[in-house]
Amino acid sequence: MSNTLEQSPPTEESETLIEVEGLKKYYGGEGMFSDPPVKAVDGVSFEIKRGETLGLVGESGCGKSTLGRTLLALEIATEGSIIYDGTDITGLSGTELKEWRKNAQMVFQDPESSLNDRMTVGEIIREPLDAHSWKTMTDRRERVLDLLSAVGLPDKHYFRYPHQFSGGQRQRIGIARALALEPDFLVLDEPVSALDVSVQAKIIRLLEDLQEDFNLTYLLIAHDLSVVRYISDRVAVMYLGKIMEKGETEEVFSNASNPYTQSLLSAIPEPDPSAASQRITLSGTPPSPSDAPAGCNLSTRCPAKIRPEAYADADRDLWQAIERFREVVRERARVALSLGDRVRRRFNRFDRFDDIEDSRADTFDGVEVPERVDQQIETAVEMVKRGEPMEAQQHLYTEFASVCDHERPEMHEVSVSGRQSYCHRHTDEYEDVEPVISRRADNE
Amino acid sequence: MSDRHTAESIREELTHRDNQSLSARITENPEPFLRWAVPMVALIAVEFATWAGIAVGMIEALVVGVVAAVELTLNYASPGLAQVVADFQAGVAGMLRSVGGMLGEFPTLLSREVIPNQGHQTPDGAWQGTFLGLQPAVAWAIRFSLIMLYALVTAYWVFRGWLVYRDHYRESDWTPTDDIVSNLRGHRWGQFGIIVLIVFLTMAAFGSALAPSTVSQNIENTYGDESRIQYLSDDGTVETAFAGDANFNSKSKGTVETNIGLMSYDDYSRFHPFGTMPNGRDLFTFMMGGARITMIVSGMAITGAAVVAMTLSMLSAYYSGSLDLGVLTVADGVVSIPQLLLLIIMSAVFADTWLGSILDGGFLLALIFAFTTWPFLWRAVRGPALQVAQEDWVRAAESYGQQPRKIMRKHMLPYILGYLLVYASMSVGGIIISLSALSFLGNGLGISPPTPAWGRAISAGQSYVSTVSWHISLVPGLMIVLLVTGMNALGDGIRDAIDPETETGEGEEAAAGGGG
Repeated sequence: MSNTLEQSPPTEESETLIEVEGLKKYYGGEGMFSDPPVKAVDGVSFEIKRGETLGLVGESGCGKSTLGRTLLALEIATEGSIIYDGTDITGLSGTELKEWRKNAQMVFQDPESSLNDRMTVGEIIREPLDAHSWKTMTDRRERVLDLLSAVGLPDKHYFRYPHQFSGGQRQRIGIARALALEPDFLVLDEPVSALDVSVQAKIIRLLEDLQEDFNLTYLLIAHDLSVVRYISDRVAVMYLGKIMEKGETEEVFSNASNPYTQSLLSAIPEPDPSAASQRITLSGTPPSPSDAPAGCNLSTRCPAKIRPEAYADADRDLWQAIERFREVVRERARVALSLGDRVRRRFNRFDRFDDIEDSRADTFDGVEVPERVDQQIETAVEMVKRGEPMEAQQHLYTEFASVCDHERPEMHEVSVSGRQSYCHRHTDEYEDVEPVISRRADNE
Repeated sequence: MSDRHTAESIREELTHRDNQSLSARITENPEPFLRWAVPMVALIAVEFATWAGIAVGMIEALVVGVVAAVELTLNYASPGLAQVVADFQAGVAGMLRSVGGMLGEFPTLLSREVIPNQGHQTPDGAWQGTFLGLQPAVAWAIRFSLIMLYALVTAYWVFRGWLVYRDHYRESDWTPTDDIVSNLRGHRWGQFGIIVLIVFLTMAAFGSALAPSTVSQNIENTYGDESRIQYLSDDGTVETAFAGDANFNSKSKGTVETNIGLMSYDDYSRFHPFGTMPNGRDLFTFMMGGARITMIVSGMAITGAAVVAMTLSMLSAYYSGSLDLGVLTVADGVVSIPQLLLLIIMSAVFADTWLGSILDGGFLLALIFAFTTWPFLWRAVRGPALQVAQEDWVRAAESYGQQPRKIMRKHMLPYILGYLLVYASMSVGGIIISLSALSFLGNGLGISPPTPAWGRAISAGQSYVSTVSWHISLVPGLMIVLLVTGMNALGDGIRDAIDPETETGEGEEAAAGGGG
């Protein structure tokens, strides 16, 4: 009775297994009259070294799952390249693609929906082997039994149905299925977030053991920062389709450079109640991925946003109010007008946005507004009331936009180990992130 | 069962034996199988001729249908080749027919020869020619009950076969099917539906043995050599007459003098369980003949519609996008065609062609019903299909390169099959009613006379509904109601069995049966 799985021979061609360059994945937006595309992944570059675990974190909807699925060629990349061991997989199709699929598999988030309940566990794990006509039937059965024991399940489960298992056991079955074709690379899409906390640790331990035994490379997608910190060698932080910061795990967690990473990390509760920790909150909600800001992705919410020259010394409350007001106008600009509204606008009878006055009053309540700012706001309000929020948005942009609004930052190397961060403040021109955030927080 | 599997044995069983097929498992432990198989063989053997006749008939229909389609297409390219195909078809059909005739020679246990009910009284009052000298009514009742009993026992024994497989030969202790079956076991309403279905299928398969007379003797060929009957005349002698003449004097015309009602004899010592029709034919025989054509046509129609709906729903759910839109448009187009108008036009157009002559026009009707019914079934299962296409296990199958065809079959089909069964069994009621309605209208619509059709019996009795001959319309009407109700009950049962949580009683599903 052999419980050991055959190991794939160690490959030493290159250190890097996967190299992603300028990857974009847009949904929709192809047609002439369609809405702007949803930019789920918007120009992402990174690499994964053989045998390492790259953690990918970010809030839900930031495009991390789409990125994982695009890496496995489950989604067709809109632009960019994915070099896997020397081959660009975005160009593969047909038999080549099927052959390549052996190399990379996925473990899904929800073990309830990732296993077909009408098949026995044996059939589920065997299916990838059947699909690739792997060796003989007897060999396949033997391999399934080996895989079952590799993930810690007894042989007798071969003939059972997924219904008869708990979430943790189902996830083990899903892992066994992903390992069936001896892949080198696994995408773990939130592998433990649907499980009980007590089971999470066991599954994570199992994943670690398997990585060691089979020399696997992982891309771990998660929003649970502690899981990522525990298992990952390197981390990439994603926000609105962009990687904001990437680097060695411990460095990112202890010494984050990017404003977004800092605010994300500051959300981890401190077990020590006496520890002085400052919570960096992001204002508002993330913009829709179909309407991402022209400049830096974070520019609408950034706690360390660069101000334009003219307002560099403006009062903090005033500046925040201005940003909030811009957000309000941006929301109005996204509302699609009905035909009736358009006709009314044509004849200057448009009144749907008259409540902008209230919003303005709320926003600037108790703030001292200088003459110049007041004039600009007044112009914008008039534009919105006329039914032209786009023009208002443009007007405010010209007046109040800074480099963060109109220019995309570069990936700047911020440490000797090669950690990179996506922020304008890493250039010499501007003050660095850390002092700005702590100063602004102190003002509170 | 679990005791079969110890930790060591599973690996052994799965990997070190060349043959772990079902037959190997049966060889290892043959007793339960034999205990099931021997009675099963006996059950089939006593009615071998009937079963073989059904099988041969199905093969023949299949051959004729397929070859006719090939011939029709070839005819455009090369008439000579088409002629060859037509000859081939004639040859095969003739061969099959002779095989069928040969099989018909095999004796069957529950046949009218073994338990005859047609006889006559001798002048001394005894019955001659009937089973054990019993009255024709009693003889017929015995044969009828035995056949129904046989059918129910056979159906149970087939189910029993599955139980034996589950308990002794299946490798899994439990499968999702077990739950469905056990849910159905506690569902009386669904069981009623199953029994109704079995009873009507029995009527279709064993109709000629169930009826007191045969369709040929009593309806289609009443003056043939086979149609002579003997009877005791009023002056005390045994005389011979044609069934046609006897029918002429056994009419039910709505007056007390001319009426043969339920469960009564006519002057020729013939027993009529459902009475006679206005033309003197035996209504029960007519109903059995009608059951056969109804079950065949509605079965073919709903199967065709279900297969189309199943295929299209999986394709449209898996590929979605413009394919889905295309199917949606076609389905909407089909739904917008008035069904009755289409039926009338098609019946008229194909009336004298080969297509219109298969199954006395029934095949054409089945095609039209399948064509008009699939959009409803497709709409009903498209939702579940879309839902299952979004499941992660479908993504997983894609991620290891499974072919789309297999993904649809293994990962989607099992989930929509249940819904399909539910909606199909509920929609079939609409087809049965429409089919009867066409025969009721007559005038070249529906099944061509003289082949029996339920709707024609209702139509024939229409003017006698308020007289003593009320049975002519009422009995066929009740049979239709019973069958349609039974099919709806079956649908309810399957729905509750596959998804016990949706047991809401009357609900939206009732609408599915409303077609026609």
